[in-house]
This record gives sequence, C-alpha cells and structure tokens, in this order.
Amino acid sequence: MIVTTQKPLDEILDYISPYGNILIVGCDGCTQPPRGLREAKTLSQLLELGGKLRNKDFTFKVTTLAKQCDSYLTASMLKPQTEGMEALLSLACGIGVQTIAEFFPELPVFPAQNTHFMGAEEREAGTLEERCAGCGDCRLALTGGICPIARCTKGLLTGACGGSKDGKCELSPERDCGWVLIYEQLKKKGKLELLKESRPPRDYQLTGWKVTT
Amino acid sequence: MAVKQNEDYCSNCSICSTLCPYEALKKEPETGKILLEIEKCQVCGLCYSACPAKAIDTIYYDVASLIRYLERAKQEYDSDTLVIVCRGSAPDFVGVEELFGVEKFIPLSVPCVGRIPEEVLLKALVMGIKGINVLACDEDYCRFERGSSVTGRRILGLNLLLEQLGYGKDVITLKRHSLKVKADTDLCISCGNCVFYCPYDAAKLESPGVVSFDLASCRGCGLCVAMCPAIALDLENWERERISALISKLSSEMQPPKILVFRCQWAVFPPLDGREPAPNIRFIDLPCASRVDTSHILEALQKGIDGVLIAACPEEDCKQEKASGKAQHSVAKLGERLSQIGLQDRLHFCTVALRYPEQFDRELAQFSQKIEATGSKESK
Repeated sequence: MIVTTQKPLDEILDYISPYGNILIVGCDGCTQPPRGLREAKTLSQLLELGGKLRNKDFTFKVTTLAKQCDSYLTASMLKPQTEGMEALLSLACGIGVQTIAEFFPELPVFPAQNTHFMGAEEREAGTLEERCAGCGDCRLALTGGICPIARCTKGLLTGACGGSKDGKCELSPERDCGWVLIYEQLKKKGKLELLKESRPPRDYQLTGWKVTT
Repeated sequence: MAVKQNEDYCSNCSICSTLCPYEALKKEPETGKILLEIEKCQVCGLCYSACPAKAIDTIYYDVASLIRYLERAKQEYDSDTLVIVCRGSAPDFVGVEELFGVEKFIPLSVPCVGRIPEEVLLKALVMGIKGINVLACDEDYCRFERGSSVTGRRILGLNLLLEQLGYGKDVITLKRHSLKVKADTDLCISCGNCVFYCPYDAAKLESPGVVSFDLASCRGCGLCVAMCPAIALDLENWERERISALISKLSSEMQPPKILVFRCQWAVFPPLDGREPAPNIRFIDLPCASRVDTSHILEALQKGIDGVLIAACPEEDCKQEKASGKAQHSVAKLGERLSQIGLQDRLHFCTVALRYPEQFDRELAQFSQKIEATGSKESK
C-alpha cells in the first residue's frame, strides 16, 4: 500500500480558499490509512468548520474511486461528477493526484495528503512502515523476504555495516537493523548459507522510469 | 456509590453471590459473610432484584422509583399494557409495537431487564396493568451476562404462579432480540477493516468477494460501523441517519452554550424520575462509545453545538472487549485534527465508572465550565 498522511488543514484551506464548489475525491485503492468515502466526508466537515473560522463558506461534494491512479476509472466514474465543480481535492497518493490533474486540465486539482512510501501497516502498533523501495531488481528471494534497501537505513545489499547494536540501527536507534532482521529470518528458514553467496552489485538502470506492459 | 450492602439485613444466604456475573459479591470462607467488592461491580442490579432480605441498595431503578414511574406513566400514556425493554435491545422502543402486537403502551426502558424484581411486576398487575411485555437481549448477547437468562427463569416462575392465582396463562410475555450490523454490499470495498476490528469474529471476508457477517456472533457493538472507511455498515436502530436527525433535533431545542454528550449507554444510566437536564445540555446514548462516529462529532459542531463530550466506560469495565480504548484512540486522533483549526477545546473524552455516579457529574461540570469560558472568550 502507498502510505500517506494528511496535510495540515491550514495548508489545504489555503489551496482551496479561492474556490466555492469543491469535489473531494477519495481513493479506495492502496492508499493507507484508508482514504475512502468516510475520510472524504470527515475532511469536508473539518474544512467546512475551518472555513467558517476564516469567514469562508465552501460547498463540498464527496465521492470516491476504486483506484484514483486508473485513468479509465477517472474518465468513466469521476468525469460526470465534476460538473459545476470549481476545484478538486484528492485524498489519493501523489499518483492519484497526478492522474486526475492530467485528466482535468481545466480544473485546479489539489492534494490533501503527503505521500511517503510503499509500506505496510503494523496494525497492533498503529504504524505504517516502509517495506519496498521499488528498485526494480528484487532480491527478496535471497534475504528471507525482507528488503535490505527499504529496511536497512543505509540500504546496504551485502550485509550488516557493523554499527548495529542490540538489533537496532546506529543511525536511528528506534529502528530495527534490517540486516539483523534478515539474519533472524534466514535462520528460522534454515537458509543462513544464502548469506555466504557473493552477489553482483545492484543494477541501477533497472530502477528506471518507464516499463512497457 | 451506586450499590451498597446493608450488613444488618444480610442473612448471608449467598443468592447474590451465586447470581453476580462479576464475582463482586463473594462469601468469605472463614466467616461465611457475604462481602461486596465495589471495584468489581458493574451495577447490573441482579443482586438487588434477587435479594430476599433487601440487604442491597441501589440508586438506579430501585423498587420505589420504578413503582413511582409506573404510577405516573400509567396516567400519562393512558394504557394498561406495559412494555419493559432492555435499552440494549430496543433503543427508543423502535419496532416494539410490531414485536408484541401492541399499539398504545406504557414504556419502561431499563439497562438490563434482569434488574426488575418480581414485586415490581406484581405491583404493576395490582395497579391494573393487564399485559406485561418484556424485551430482553439474546442470552449470549446480554451485556450483564446473566441478566437475560435470569429474567427468563423469573418470568417462567411468575407466570406459573399467576396462572394458579387465576390470572390466566402467560400474563407476562418475554421476547428476546439483539441488534445487529447491517452491511451495504454495494458500498463494500473489501478492505477487511471490519474483519480486523471485530472483537467477536463476526465479519468474514472471503477472497474474492465482499464482506459477510455471521449475525449469530455479532454483538452489535458498532465498532466496525465506526471504522468502515466506505460507510458501508450500519447498526440496526442506531443508523447514522437516526443519530444525525437526533443531533439536529437536540441542537434546535438547546440554549447556548450548547453541550452535546455522547454516552456509552452502559457508562451512565439516565434517572427514571424524568428530571430534565439543563437547557444547554443534551445526551445521546449509544450502544458503546466505539459507535461514536467522528462524522457525528463534526456534524454536531457544524450544527452549532459548542462542545462535544464523549463519556465511555473505563477500559476494564468495557462490555465490548476493550472497545472503549479504541473509541478513546479515534477521538484523540480527531482532537489532533481539530487542533489544526483551533477547535481542540470543543471536544473532550472521559471515562466514567457507573459504580461512582459522581464521576460523570464531575466531568460534565468541568467540561461545561470550560465551554462557557471558551464561549465568552470568543464572543469578546
């Protein structure tokens, strides 16, 4: 899932204050925490209250899309709802915002969220953590299913740096050392010999910016 | 304290300790005396309703106030049919007419029907009430664990007795009903939030597909309803439209500074004597504080409410598997967002234990003071 956090309400109010009729577009796709219809409604209520304190009346309409980054869905589901709207406020990740901004060149489109990383939810702890760096050269088969680029603060591919202490990273002691996690996981799987293999360096060309489907 | 034991009257018969679902009343092995441990008491009233020596006192729904209420309500509602419901199974008596086939009736809503002693039912008959209908929660759904089953046994016994006395068969009708979640599968986005949050494993998400609920397991706490990001869930008789309508109605009849209190219906019991709250304070009782929807809090503020107070049970007393803690978490998160627009003082979450009724009064008084101060500051 793509991990986002809400922008400060003041910032959003600054964006939208020149407009009156605003459509808030949620996303039921991979955005986390969930930014669907409920969040669209909650945000509309918060902005209405915030607007009142600035002596500004907004009229909000709320909707949601299964995936805001899908231009086909945007064309078929969102277009009919934009009639009479002066601006769109997107609850999706940066990709969703860009998709609808491109599709509606005549309309101002604003992000309500800051986009951070691709990650997963630790529900019991109530946190969202980065899990994949999108490097294009996946090594998870060799690392016990734990990504060294996302989980090691330094993004090392060849093993621990030597600065790890009590399983924590020397750079941010609150954070688990990714290579300790990899070691423990490989030990559980009985695959510690994988650590002895020499590996080619990462192919940075694979990171890329475009792939053909 | 909401429950007291009068040792002078107590014959140490153990009926109360056998009935108490929380082991708050126990026989001391050495002395044979019954002891009340108030910290464990959840104020279900079962001991009060069953004590043959009248050695237990409660400030909620005692015999005298129940009888006073019945005398008054019989005149007011001009009916000889009594309907007693557990507030957990039928908030606002929705659906009661159909369930019992009655039109005009004297309504009596109590937190658990298990707290009604036999003598109140008999007294009602003496008053000229012809039919008594009791609506309990399903036995395994009873928030006080044994309240519904004790009521079943009590009514069975009373009906046999009344038949022998010549009152006819089944003078008292008992029905059971529990409120359940309702899912709008068209809105479901298969996110699995309800499956994660449901404390009773009632929500099922089978891939691929939309959510389904095992209604026999659902306890109607409403946590999934408050957590569903797609607004696809609702709770029977506590539908969001009903709560919204109630917010509008209450706001329109209040005087400023308006204070709306969302209460867990097991954290605070309303008095039976019909005492009106202050003209600027109104209450909405919900099945659990976890059913308090952030959108309802915001809606209240939008509709001109000056302050919203949430009263939940302390987590250890929560009748819904620690849902009180989850409620606190989501209210705190909303509070952070309200602080971004300077409205953080308008919302307050508190936990209050029913066994100490002064706790709620104190929280309400403190919050009222704060809102009044904020209001007068803003008007300057």
